Amino acid sequence: MVIKSPQDFGAGILFILFGAVGLYVGSDLSFGSARNMGPGYFPMIICGLIALIGLIVTAKSLAIEGPAIERIRFRPIIFILLAIAAFGILISEIGAVISSILLIMFAAYARRDVNPIETVVFAVTTAAFVVIIFVYALGQPMPVWWGR
Amino acid sequence: MEVFEHLATGFMAAGSIENLMFCLIGVVLGTLIGVLPGIGPIPALAILLPITFGLDPLSSLIMLAGIYYGAQYGGSTTSILVNMPGEASSVVTCIEGHQMARKGRAGAALAIAALGSFFAGTIGTVFIAAFGPPLASIAQQFNSPDYFALMLLGLVMAIVLAHGSVLKAVAMVLIGLLLGLVGTDINTGLTRYTFGLSGLWEGIDFLPLVLGLFGIVEIIRNLENPPSPREAISTRMRDMWPTKKEFKEAYPAALRGTGLGSLLGILPGGGAVLASFASYTLEKKISKNPRKFGTGAVEGVAGPEAANNAAAQTSFIPLLTLGIPSNPIMAIMMGAMIIQGIQPGAAVMTTRPDLFWGMVASMWIGNLMLVVINLPMIGIWVKLLSVPYRLLYPAILLFCAIGVYSTSTEPFMMVLMIVFTVFGYILFKLGCEPAPMVLGFILGPLMEENLRRSLVISRGDPTIFIDRPISATLLVATVLMLCLIIFPQFRKTREEAFQEE
Repeated sequence: MVIKSPQDFGAGILFILFGAVGLYVGSDLSFGSARNMGPGYFPMIICGLIALIGLIVTAKSLAIEGPAIERIRFRPIIFILLAIAAFGILISEIGAVISSILLIMFAAYARRDVNPIETVVFAVTTAAFVVIIFVYALGQPMPVWWGR
Repeated sequence: MEVFEHLATGFMAAGSIENLMFCLIGVVLGTLIGVLPGIGPIPALAILLPITFGLDPLSSLIMLAGIYYGAQYGGSTTSILVNMPGEASSVVTCIEGHQMARKGRAGAALAIAALGSFFAGTIGTVFIAAFGPPLASIAQQFNSPDYFALMLLGLVMAIVLAHGSVLKAVAMVLIGLLLGLVGTDINTGLTRYTFGLSGLWEGIDFLPLVLGLFGIVEIIRNLENPPSPREAISTRMRDMWPTKKEFKEAYPAALRGTGLGSLLGILPGGGAVLASFASYTLEKKISKNPRKFGTGAVEGVAGPEAANNAAAQTSFIPLLTLGIPSNPIMAIMMGAMIIQGIQPGAAVMTTRPDLFWGMVASMWIGNLMLVVINLPMIGIWVKLLSVPYRLLYPAILLFCAIGVYSTSTEPFMMVLMIVFTVFGYILFKLGCEPAPMVLGFILGPLMEENLRRSLVISRGDPTIFIDRPISATLLVATVLMLCLIIFPQFRKTREEAFQEE
């Protein structure tokens, strides 16, 4: 068995997984009948279709040439996700200003060749700017500093 | 004339100082984000969505609409000056617009795009005002089977218009439908697919979903493959006036584009993308000198730009009268309306006429603002293109995160955003286009409910969909569309059309 189209193969497997998990989790829901659709009726049909398409896409990927999956670069996605996670965990504890600065610092390191001084200056100004807009101009309720 | 009375109501509502200001802010912010290379209207709307939540419904809708066509106009500017399309509807503008710019006619191309868009926007607004109410009364004859058939057609159209593989687009729509069903089933009160998480009881939150899929994935994509720095062609205000010859070539094309765009915008699945491609093809076909296309044909800028703006306006019609979004962008608008507590549909026009007509009037005001502000401010937009990406993306990311936090302080929202970022990233790596998924996500619960009701009415007999004339017509159209996808000849043109990106 040779995979001729890695992108499609991956997509096919993803769809099959999605459909299978959907069918498994949804199997607890009562299916009902066309006349009286249960909560499981529509989702089960959809999950079945997703899995079916997954099978077709996978089968096609073994037969027809297609594009390879581009190399995954871990640096950008990991730092971007870290930045969001840090912000989400910390904002309620230490307030919007510092968590915003942290988010920008983390995000900046998603690239190589970071200029630390520029990043710090930029982080502080942007955080100030964004807090002024959201908290003072738009009146969004969020803690500006810690201890509240 | 009733239309003018309605429009007067609308201008009264939209013309308040406050709403004019929100319209202005929306248009400027939309352009600001839309100008950034690689960011089309969908990510622009997603990123700016949170700042509209604190406003009252009319102001927030006015601002969102402003953001939408601001972003679209900003995208055209980037296409013309840098040859980098933000999304599919500006691809066409790139072809001729950038060629004009290279010949030293950048200013004229921008002016023609702006004036063409403004003209089309004006007609589009009149179109909504004239056809909105009659369509809303037709909508009242719509029954569950008709709604179901209409949504099916819309989804099939979304598949036809998606990039890349048809099968994958079908799967994306289906996954969107399934994600839309997560949460409490309204009929039985049972929770579905919540995996025991209380944060999912009310369904998957819209904002973290769109921000993750479109805003943040876009950032990661750009970081992985940094867009090669391209010199923006500079232009000055006084070079902007088109020559007489250019004007003469442009205005009939803009007229045709407006007509075509207005019609295509109303269709399920229609919208800016379809309209600009159709208009470009039309101009090329009827031109006496088709060979000049590709070398900076004025018609190739005026027509598609007018068409995409007209369609952007009229695609609000199905949303506002039937409550059904016809394309992913309208799905985002609908998501925003629901968050504001408004269920879009024919009822809006009668229960909240100020809202409906205010929004219609604001569209025209917004288009006027675009012309008045953007042409003189072109220098600023060009400067913005030179802001390095290393500074832009952390700021955009912060904007997304604060936006989510400001709508809900639940840490779970951030988790959802991270989950959808990862999911969107995987989809990107596997060559799946997420836009049709949003349409499915919004339509999921509506489709299920209408299918259930239809089958209750008919006691489980599926022929109800063929017996009713409206749904039968829509289903025939759906089947025709499906045939088009399968029919090899059309498939080829579809692939070619997207090849140019």
